[in-house]
Amino acid sequence: MREKINIPKIPHAFFKWYCQQEKYEELHGDLEEFYYERVTELGAAKARLCYLIDVIRCCQPYAWKKTKGQTNSNIMMFKNYYKTSSRSLMKSPLSSFINVFGLSVAIGICLVVYTFLAWDHSIDRFHEYKNEVYLATFFADRDGTEQQYGMTPTPLGEMLREDFTHIKKVCRLEDRNVVLKYEDKVFHEQVRYSDPEFLEMFTFPLKWGSPGSLSDANSIILSEEMSIKYFGEENPVGQDMLMIFGKDNNKLFKVTGVAEAFPKAHAIDFDFLINFENFKISDPTYDLNDWSGFVNATLIQVDNPSDLADITGGMEKYRILQNEVQEDWAISSFTFERLADLHEKSGNIEGDISYDDNLEARIGMPVIALFMLVLACLNYINIAIVSAAKRLKEIGLRKVIGAHRRQVIVQFLAENILITFFALILGCILAVTIFIPWLAQLAGWEMELQLIDKNLWIFLVAILLITGIASGIYPAFYISKFDAVKIFKGSVKFGKKNPLTKVFLGTQLILACITITAGVVFTQNNTYQSTRSWGYQQKGAIYVHMPDTTAFEQLQATMIQNPNVVAISGSAHHLGKDMASVVVHVPGRQYEVNELIVDPGYFETMGLQLIDGRVFQDHPESDKQAIIVNEQFVKKLALNEPIGQLFEIDSAKYEVIGVIKDFHFYSFFNKIEPTIFRVANPGQYHYLSLRVNDGSEKETYQALQDQWASLFPEIPFQGGYQEDVWGEYFHMTNTAERFNKVIAFVAVLLASLGLYGLVTLNVSGRTREFSIRKTLGAGIRNITSNIVRQYMILAAVALLIGAPISYVFIEAYLDMLFVYHIPMSYSSVAISVVILTLVLLAVISTQIRKVSKSNPVDGLKAE
Amino acid sequence: MSRIHLGEFEEIVLLTVGVLYDDAYAVAITKEITKQSGRSVNVSAVHKSLYRLEKKGMLDSRLGDPESKRGGKRKRLFSITPFGKKALDESMELRMSLRTQIPELAFKWQMG
Repeated sequence: MREKINIPKIPHAFFKWYCQQEKYEELHGDLEEFYYERVTELGAAKARLCYLIDVIRCCQPYAWKKTKGQTNSNIMMFKNYYKTSSRSLMKSPLSSFINVFGLSVAIGICLVVYTFLAWDHSIDRFHEYKNEVYLATFFADRDGTEQQYGMTPTPLGEMLREDFTHIKKVCRLEDRNVVLKYEDKVFHEQVRYSDPEFLEMFTFPLKWGSPGSLSDANSIILSEEMSIKYFGEENPVGQDMLMIFGKDNNKLFKVTGVAEAFPKAHAIDFDFLINFENFKISDPTYDLNDWSGFVNATLIQVDNPSDLADITGGMEKYRILQNEVQEDWAISSFTFERLADLHEKSGNIEGDISYDDNLEARIGMPVIALFMLVLACLNYINIAIVSAAKRLKEIGLRKVIGAHRRQVIVQFLAENILITFFALILGCILAVTIFIPWLAQLAGWEMELQLIDKNLWIFLVAILLITGIASGIYPAFYISKFDAVKIFKGSVKFGKKNPLTKVFLGTQLILACITITAGVVFTQNNTYQSTRSWGYQQKGAIYVHMPDTTAFEQLQATMIQNPNVVAISGSAHHLGKDMASVVVHVPGRQYEVNELIVDPGYFETMGLQLIDGRVFQDHPESDKQAIIVNEQFVKKLALNEPIGQLFEIDSAKYEVIGVIKDFHFYSFFNKIEPTIFRVANPGQYHYLSLRVNDGSEKETYQALQDQWASLFPEIPFQGGYQEDVWGEYFHMTNTAERFNKVIAFVAVLLASLGLYGLVTLNVSGRTREFSIRKTLGAGIRNITSNIVRQYMILAAVALLIGAPISYVFIEAYLDMLFVYHIPMSYSSVAISVVILTLVLLAVISTQIRKVSKSNPVDGLKAE
Repeated sequence: MSRIHLGEFEEIVLLTVGVLYDDAYAVAITKEITKQSGRSVNVSAVHKSLYRLEKKGMLDSRLGDPESKRGGKRKRLFSITPFGKKALDESMELRMSLRTQIPELAFKWQMG
């Protein structure tokens, strides 16, 4: 008896899996027969190999299991739907393309908005204790409104640590500017003084070093960016960096850690971290127990978020302590904000460590996405209704052979979801390859599409169903309504006289009108912004930040000899750079106003215009009790005769001696605030400003830098042209302009695509009519007026409605984005109406051309 | 289609089924074709043709007895139907008629 060699298991299992049961016995019998023969002839190994090859080669349709579905009539029907749908799609590739492309652009935009919102929502949520860490904030009454502030009185942190057992960790943060030096690299930097708990509460991963090292007062932790700036790609741990706090006040720090690159979705970060203890070294006069002093932030971490109510309740005693010291600026309550929510709330919190520039975008972007989706859906609906005219017979036939209306609806909806699915795929590709990178680069948002996000998939499916059904439901119901008998009799009048088609097209035109107006207005506004007066002469002015008074005097003495310098002055604060705020007392009320401490020549140097009274006298010790105010101050305090009025500031009396024309301090984003000027003591000068002869800005600036380099080789130069202090602002307005232009372009593209499809279908449906007209002698004019009439009335009505809506809508949009913007004009709306009309005419004329060139005989022969 | 279509390999399989008469099943057919024509044939190709021919109605089939050399499995035995014979005959006829129509001249090659 020969040895039985078993059949190889895995190929056998595979064979069993694909082979139908009825044929298994005979087929596998054949294979086994070969196998056993080969085992004796060729040996087991070769036989196994041959068996495997046989199994694979037998894997052919004749052996396969028959799928059950083939007998299911529903599936059969769907197969048929698919066939007819794809045929009708391929029959008119143009309108199919318009549908799919339009939808995919809209879906791509939706996806961008989703990515943005997801990114925005995830900001600072990567920290492990995002739900346990809280920022201490307080509310204070500011001219009648409650305002939330993100900084805290200096002693609060220490007291919280001692008084509450629920509070696990406390961390104070303070940011200061210093000069950092490593070998020949010297830069002005901002360092963050923090308690050692910072890196335990904020779980920034470190690339090198250990987070615990922050408890050593001599160590410094760098961000990755800063590590590269000073040390290149080398590991800097163990290197020494010299920190210069001020004149003759410096300290050596040892690098003990480098953070990994911060996650893209972050608002809170740092450049350099050092122990809070160093605060005493940098500013020996600073009193950590002074309730009138503030630190940038105090953060707490609790084990159980429910303890927070307790802690908030226990804050009352600090409020009393605080208000005893700072009567001027009474705090109404302390509250805590969760780290996870901080970014989204920080738009309403003044002076907190987080920031939020995305508030407008959070409102505006979904609106734009919705606009685009509506445009694309309307395109689809219109084209679907008109192109259904060509499928009437199919619908009639389906009904005759027993299709219910429901089945026809299901057919059209399914077809539509299929189209939307293609659009979705194309839209994803568009979003990932074009839209998201473009917007990320334009707006500076470091966002990207996270494919592993499960909400994204839910969103995609939702978009698919919503778009598919929203755009398909009406055509489906409309088309399925027709009576089969009427269809075959030819008595169904179709497409031409559907009022809803007109409403849809009209809505599209209105939406397009709004977006074009936005594009036009933003372009106009940008020109306006760059020419609007700042309220002083920013051109021809140069400023430089000074480390101390001696340096100021040295530089002033040399620069005054420069023939190009017209005026030179010193100040403690500077326009567009730095200011203080003080509380002005009038009997029964108090106002918080901005304050600039300047020397008497500052007004002339910066070109600030005096409109009433006089400026400070250039004489030491004079005008010490005088203030100069701006127009806004006069308006806010409702002064009839400002000159000579007395106000109490810091328990001293000051007299108004002059009024300055209103000027913009930071940018047009900020409202002009009431502002006062006080005269500076020579020891207070932090800025040196120059007015130079026209055309000599570059030359003088170079001379200033050279002078600086020879006087203070150890200190980096920190200054610039006054014109450039708003660089960030103009960058933002340019961004807004480009963004709106692109959106307008896309909207016009979608609307004109839709219109093109509609007109094409309509004209081709009337080929016979036009051919007859032509044979009877109709000229191009007759045909043109025939086509144009149909659309022009509609377009006129749509634009008549769209123009005022655009006007109101865009004005609101501008108001939201800009405090000082171009006054809304009719010209912008007019321009957008003209653009839209031209596009409409261009679209229609392509069809007129087609009709006029076609041979009427061909038109009559068709069908 | 006036003529019954028969592929070249199908025709060979059909002929072999006839040759083997009472023992015409896939393995035997495969071996027989290999033996007679000298070309290497895989059993799957034979399967495919057999089932197709059966579907066309040129072959009939029944299950045989279980055999130990097949792991105790039965085999499917095929036999030619009258329709199958007709197909074979027509195919043969066509070939013969075409062959006889070739003029002798076509085979007179100029040698040298």
